[in-house]
Amino acid sequence: MLSVKTMRPGLVRNLISKLYEINWLLPALVMVVGTVGVMMILAATEGVWAHGAFQHGTRIILAGGLMLAIALTDIRVWYQLAYPAYALALILLMGVEVAGVTINGSQRWLDLGVTRLQPSEIMKPAIVLALARYYHDLSDWRVSHITGLVGGLILLAMPMALILRQPDLGTTLLLGATGVAIVFLAGINWRVIGFASLFAAVAIPLFFRFGLKEYQQSRILTFLDPSRDPAGASYHITQSKIALGSGGVTGKGYMKGTQRQGEYVPENRTDFIFTVIGEEFGLVGGLTTMGLYMAVIAVCIWLSLQCKEMFSKLLILGLTTTFTLYIFINLGMVMGLAPVVGVPLPLISYGGTVIMAVMAGFGLILSAHLHRGVELPRSGT
Amino acid sequence: MGSVGMSTAPTSSAADKGTITRRTAMLGAGGLGVFGVLGARLYQLQVIEAENYQMLSDNNRFNYNMLLPERGEIRDRHGRPLARNRQNFRLVMIPERTPDMNKTLDRVGRILPLSDRQRKRILQDVKQNPKFVPILIDDNLDWATFSALNMRLHALPGVVSEAGQGRAYPENGVFSHILGYVGRAGDRDIARDDDPLLRQPTFRIGKTGVEASQESTLRGESGRLKVEVNARGRIVREWPDPETRAVPGRDVWLTLDAELQEFAAKQFATEDEGDDSGGIVVIDVLTGELRTLLSMPSFDANLFVSGLTQRDMDALNSDPKRPQYNKAIAGGYPPASTFKMAVMLAALESKLIAPDDEIFCLGKLRLGNRTFHCWKRQGHGKMNMRDALKHSCDTYFYDISQKVGIDKIADVARRLGLGETYPIGVGGGISGIVPDAQWKQARLGTGWRMGDTLNASIGQGFVLATPLQLGVMAARLANMREAVTPRLVIGEEIEPFAPLDFDPKHLAYVRDAMWAVTSEERGTAYRPYPFGRDDGLKSVQMAGKTGTGQVRGISASERATGVRKNEKLPWKLRDHSIFVGFAPYDKPRFAVGTIVEHGGSGSKRAADITRAVLGEALRRDGLGQAQLGTPLETGALR
Repeated sequence: MLSVKTMRPGLVRNLISKLYEINWLLPALVMVVGTVGVMMILAATEGVWAHGAFQHGTRIILAGGLMLAIALTDIRVWYQLAYPAYALALILLMGVEVAGVTINGSQRWLDLGVTRLQPSEIMKPAIVLALARYYHDLSDWRVSHITGLVGGLILLAMPMALILRQPDLGTTLLLGATGVAIVFLAGINWRVIGFASLFAAVAIPLFFRFGLKEYQQSRILTFLDPSRDPAGASYHITQSKIALGSGGVTGKGYMKGTQRQGEYVPENRTDFIFTVIGEEFGLVGGLTTMGLYMAVIAVCIWLSLQCKEMFSKLLILGLTTTFTLYIFINLGMVMGLAPVVGVPLPLISYGGTVIMAVMAGFGLILSAHLHRGVELPRSGT
Repeated sequence: MGSVGMSTAPTSSAADKGTITRRTAMLGAGGLGVFGVLGARLYQLQVIEAENYQMLSDNNRFNYNMLLPERGEIRDRHGRPLARNRQNFRLVMIPERTPDMNKTLDRVGRILPLSDRQRKRILQDVKQNPKFVPILIDDNLDWATFSALNMRLHALPGVVSEAGQGRAYPENGVFSHILGYVGRAGDRDIARDDDPLLRQPTFRIGKTGVEASQESTLRGESGRLKVEVNARGRIVREWPDPETRAVPGRDVWLTLDAELQEFAAKQFATEDEGDDSGGIVVIDVLTGELRTLLSMPSFDANLFVSGLTQRDMDALNSDPKRPQYNKAIAGGYPPASTFKMAVMLAALESKLIAPDDEIFCLGKLRLGNRTFHCWKRQGHGKMNMRDALKHSCDTYFYDISQKVGIDKIADVARRLGLGETYPIGVGGGISGIVPDAQWKQARLGTGWRMGDTLNASIGQGFVLATPLQLGVMAARLANMREAVTPRLVIGEEIEPFAPLDFDPKHLAYVRDAMWAVTSEERGTAYRPYPFGRDDGLKSVQMAGKTGTGQVRGISASERATGVRKNEKLPWKLRDHSIFVGFAPYDKPRFAVGTIVEHGGSGSKRAADITRAVLGEALRRDGLGQAQLGTPLETGALR
């Protein structure tokens, strides 16, 4: 099946020539953002390397290797693995349901003995792979047909339901939004979009009432009206805003954030790490960070435009959408524009699985771009 | 091309690619818009509202901790500390640093025994406070225990030794009644005084005595310490500012002479019955300064600082000699024959009695159907005024008091200082009683009777006085010109003494009679050398008056069979022994009022104590040497 002539002259030479062809701008930007992460985790932990900064750096480097390995692997392999990967992620999610480890009231982790795995993070690239393949395989006219809709919906709904049960509202919404973006990019027609929007308008309030845990409801309500609960859930947002606001234009200086030293902002090593950036480097630091992210996203979009195959385009754009949504939800939350949901700032927040998942995503993006000349079959009708 | 996306019909691959590119652009534009919104929000937070958040951040960050001022010391007239601050060694535990509370307490208990009650209290405190708040294990540790614990702190995680400030009364209890003690402010204190210091759990205020009356001087002012705290209130950093340091309290100096006070206390010791109960007051007759103000037996005020145990409390409360009670100012006793000077002076001032008028004492005097006995059953015979005081003849005073009348006697007694409370800053002083018709009507609702006058004329019946009042009376008789008023705190503003306003001739006559009591043979307190013959006080003379305060009624049958000897009675029924006096007679320096509860005749116990203390006061004052030449010690050195 993989009858590509470029692979013949020898694996090593082939790999070296492939390495040359990789778009190195993206890995470079990713490493810069990862370094920002190391610096900020170090600040958030009072300069103690062993409290996360070292691990983060190590993970970035290891995940960088993973990224390159994935990038060098032929896109057809990924095309073939799209459904199996999705199936595996789904099984792992079901495993969490059965035998997951509960941390902070959420059952999100699978204990593998050596390490703890968060299958919802694996599902993020997996769902993109699956949907990209599904819409790649689908005849164009069927995209907006019942088959296209129902198939996509089923692929999306199963993991969403499982993740919501953990419960992890943030990831659920992220997954859903990514899926919707892929369907949208796949070319679904505007009439369907109209109907879907109408449906959502009815379904979301119902979902809020019956589909969410009380604390999730409370988070959203608190976000809508912060005075509801000044010392509880909105404390987080208030302190986060104080940290950012008190940073001013240029910030209080690296390692000099008083909100951070006072431990006023909980979780500032993980989900709320942007408050450390904002407090210690001010508006300049915040906008620079956002600029770095925008550059990463722009490069990804640019890479997608160079691809011909639907699978590659949808894969790159879907993964980029996930990455972008991470950033939007996290920054919106930290700045008090979105409810507090447990979504990290990719590449900067401390946390192993997320880095692996995000870097694996970049590996897939690079692979899709690297193998843009490769033709992919269309197994569907 | 634009209609392709809208169509449900099969489309070409090229059109498909156009759609996805367009839609990518749409999403990209949307994403850019979101980034714009986020950037704008960041601008709003960090530029437009920055000042507000800066302030909120500082509010988060800074707290003001109160700094406790050091309490002023209380010293005697020579600067000897009577109440001071000492290091209070204590042991605290910070629960968040103690992994195993019980094991740690067990280990502490090996060096510092902890009762079950203490342990329960500690564990309860741990439960009720945030984990970083230090919990007191024990305080007022002695140095040996404290250092032993310090050596083992490494094995006691979370246990910290601290040296704080505590109040100590080093002078062995003889100042306890005067100084009072300090304690944590109660609800009533806080209601009266809005100083926020009072709300501090480790702050102590004066509860009684000088500690309470001089509180405003001793307390000082609180300081402020700006501290940076974290979200859980723990101090991250201190920002000391010299402007907001605490102002320590000022010292209070008392007129007392600590060594004289201790000397006086020793005079109350007996061979077989512990310390005698009573009070003694030594007053400077010129200034009114109290050199000694002593109530016996004493108690250790330090017990009150560290927390009185039930056993200590019971021991204090059940002691028949009532150690806690300040007898020097709050003990009212019949002044007995020491009251006779007031009667005598009233008689002279009223000009109703000539000093040389003689009265024949038969040992008793009949008034209606009542008989008033003289202490000398066989009678004194012919008595003039001077002899009557010298021998303390009761019959003479029964007789003249009828002619002078209670109103004049009461007036003179009051002018001599009886029946008055003196604001010396100790608190709890009583006025005693100088009775007259008006007083009896108000108090008992019955009319004054001549018998009451007769009783009062020998300082019995309704008359009550404290050692302080007797001392004041002696001081005024010694001073002759001014109504000397006692004072205890140096530096307090006092009004100039009022003139005493008695005819100097009359005063001289009374003083001469008092001299006869101590200095003429057969005077009730006669000693040839009242202050001994061994030093410069050999030729110093004194004046005084004995008093024997009757505690029980003597029945007619007992009189018939012979009054029982005082020493054979149970302690509670024995007479009070009373003495007032001053010295030197010709140029008075100090006056003394002494009462020994159930001490028997005034000519014995109280007179002995007075002579000893008065002599010591003169010796310590240097007056004896200055006036009367070189003492023996210096002579030997030469």
